[in-house]
Amino acid sequence: MSSEVEAGTTSAGRGDREAVVSRPALQAGGTLSLLGSELLTLFRRRRTWALLGALALIPILIGVAIRVAGAAPTGRGPAFLDQITNNGLFVGVTAIIVATPLFLPLTIGVVAGDAIAGEASHGTLRYLLIAPAGRIRLLVVKYVAAAVFCAAAALTVVVMGTIVGWVLFPIGPVTLLSGATVGVGDALLRFLAIAAYVTVSLLGMSAIGLFLSTLTTVPVGAMAATAILAVASEIMDALPQLEWLHPWLFTHYWLGFGDLMREPVVWDSFAENALLQAGYVLVFGALAVGRFITKDVLS
Amino acid sequence: MRRSDTGASHRLVRWIPAIAAPIAIGVGVVLVPMQANAAVDLPDLTPEELLEFAASSEVDALSGTIEQTSELGLPDLSGLTGTMGGGAGGSGSDSFGPGGGDDGATGDGEASASATDLDDLISLATGTHTAKVYLDGTNARLQVLDRLAERDVYLSEAGAWIYDSREQAATHVTVDRAALDALKAEAEARGEDARARMLAELGTPLPTPEDVLDEALAKLDETTDVSVGTDARVAGREVYELVLVPRDADTLVGEVSVAIDGDTGLALAASVTARGSEEPAFSVAFTDVSFDAPDASVFAFTPPEGTAVTEHEVPVPTVAELEQWKAEAEAEAGDAASPRPEVIGEGWSAVVVLPAGAYGQGGAGAEGLGEASAMLNTLTEPVDGGRILSTSLVTVLFTDDGRVLAGAVTADRLLDAAASGR
Repeated sequence: MSSEVEAGTTSAGRGDREAVVSRPALQAGGTLSLLGSELLTLFRRRRTWALLGALALIPILIGVAIRVAGAAPTGRGPAFLDQITNNGLFVGVTAIIVATPLFLPLTIGVVAGDAIAGEASHGTLRYLLIAPAGRIRLLVVKYVAAAVFCAAAALTVVVMGTIVGWVLFPIGPVTLLSGATVGVGDALLRFLAIAAYVTVSLLGMSAIGLFLSTLTTVPVGAMAATAILAVASEIMDALPQLEWLHPWLFTHYWLGFGDLMREPVVWDSFAENALLQAGYVLVFGALAVGRFITKDVLS
Repeated sequence: MRRSDTGASHRLVRWIPAIAAPIAIGVGVVLVPMQANAAVDLPDLTPEELLEFAASSEVDALSGTIEQTSELGLPDLSGLTGTMGGGAGGSGSDSFGPGGGDDGATGDGEASASATDLDDLISLATGTHTAKVYLDGTNARLQVLDRLAERDVYLSEAGAWIYDSREQAATHVTVDRAALDALKAEAEARGEDARARMLAELGTPLPTPEDVLDEALAKLDETTDVSVGTDARVAGREVYELVLVPRDADTLVGEVSVAIDGDTGLALAASVTARGSEEPAFSVAFTDVSFDAPDASVFAFTPPEGTAVTEHEVPVPTVAELEQWKAEAEAEAGDAASPRPEVIGEGWSAVVVLPAGAYGQGGAGAEGLGEASAMLNTLTEPVDGGRILSTSLVTVLFTDDGRVLAGAVTADRLLDAAASGR
């Protein structure tokens, strides 16, 4: 058995899990340790760190470019770019605005699209399914791991941006979109809220990726399809002719986190976004379950 | 996995959650708004009573969200003007934040100011905009929520602040309070005088507000059918609906509808529907409203560091000055040399005519005008004797001899008016 397990890029974590799964007596605790080993596997992979490293590069590039080339003129480039030289805290916000439309969805597509198809292509999937009722549990664990990666990705951009800004530029009270000024502590809390918003934004996409991942044994196909769907959704969101469709697109509220930079904070878009993402999670989660429990697992 | 009994029907059973989830969501999407609109029954009112009720409304504190939608049938001009940087008010046309931001430069700063204003105007005439309003006594604030940007208007006793986060510019508008109070007092005193004189002359009491309203309604009735529509719900509150339908066949306006809160008498929504259309061409409505006084911090504004502040003081004239202006204006009106706009027709099908040379004097630079006329050409279509801009509610005719005619009327009516002057 171990020779087949080791066929993939994964290592020790995988072996631990087999042991846990094959003990049906520990069902509830089993789910938790399954999740634990799944997370361990995910964050031990070099690919995961490469993805997070690429995301961390965005604020570094922005910070260094502005440090070297000087301030951006007012009103050009992404929002907040022109304020960075006065206040380094804006590096994180600018970076997440840049990362949200393309880079973040790409990384999420890789992780979510790989969830089931990756195991299938490595031939490890059937060993994960030895335990009774294992399939739904495995899907849930895979989804939660993808969601944790969403949070890690969003936090990487925001936290790295804040650190880069702190190092390269002066730090001070932050001017919000409403013209009000808040202290550094309040601003950092708002940045965390932005990271939470972005994490929630990516949950629907993760569910789509998980579903696509159950359709195929070729992980690259699921990854590419997930990322392409995100871009297609954004393109449709930009076409005024499809205005009736916009509130239903999972990318529609992606840049709505600007509402957290107002005074008073406007929570409407956060709530609408969460509701929409919950709908996507429900529909594509159910589709993934339907597909996965009827699927003949041959590898 | 119990492979032995996995028949086709068993397989189907396992797909049930996947089929049920979208259905449940679909049912929820249909049912929730239906429930919100279910069975609103307010005590019946005649149009007169409803107008009186609305006029007597005394709301001095509220906070809420307003959504404004325009479907005027204008072509989408975002590509044309190119000033999409940061997006036009959540219309969703700029999902690609960074990319959209990059082409947000038609020029530098002030040079493109007129184009930016034009964009603002166009962005108002197309798409959807969301704003928050706060009101408490003499303090008020309008907060226009653009995507990753914001425009604010703060009003208070001390003056007004206008703030634009994208431009990082604030304008402070102040009035001389003492002078304004003096003006008010003087005007009131004169009003009292006039009232006393009229009373003495007529020997009868002045008409009550109800009489005035009745008379106004009777006059309105000549041109418009006023009725009370079905009760509905706006922003979760029960509302009356006041419906105005023009009797005039020439106008493009099909129906004007105003929703009046059944409790406070405040207008919570208004919409204008073009003739023959189902969906309103223009609508503004509260999506959420509360009549509790908002927190005082909402109204506080000090321009942040690094903001360009423009001070603007509005001079307050005295009553004598006002009268002098009025006299001058009247004298000028008689003077045919200076062109003034005139109105042809009345009621819904009124047409405003700007004679040749009456526009374009507003100090707009040649560059601004050139840009505007290029845009005009793409917006308008040529007709016999000029170019015409038609939207679902308003038609504008630019005649070859330089006149501009506008009205909420059909193109034929405008051409008629241009030819006959009637």
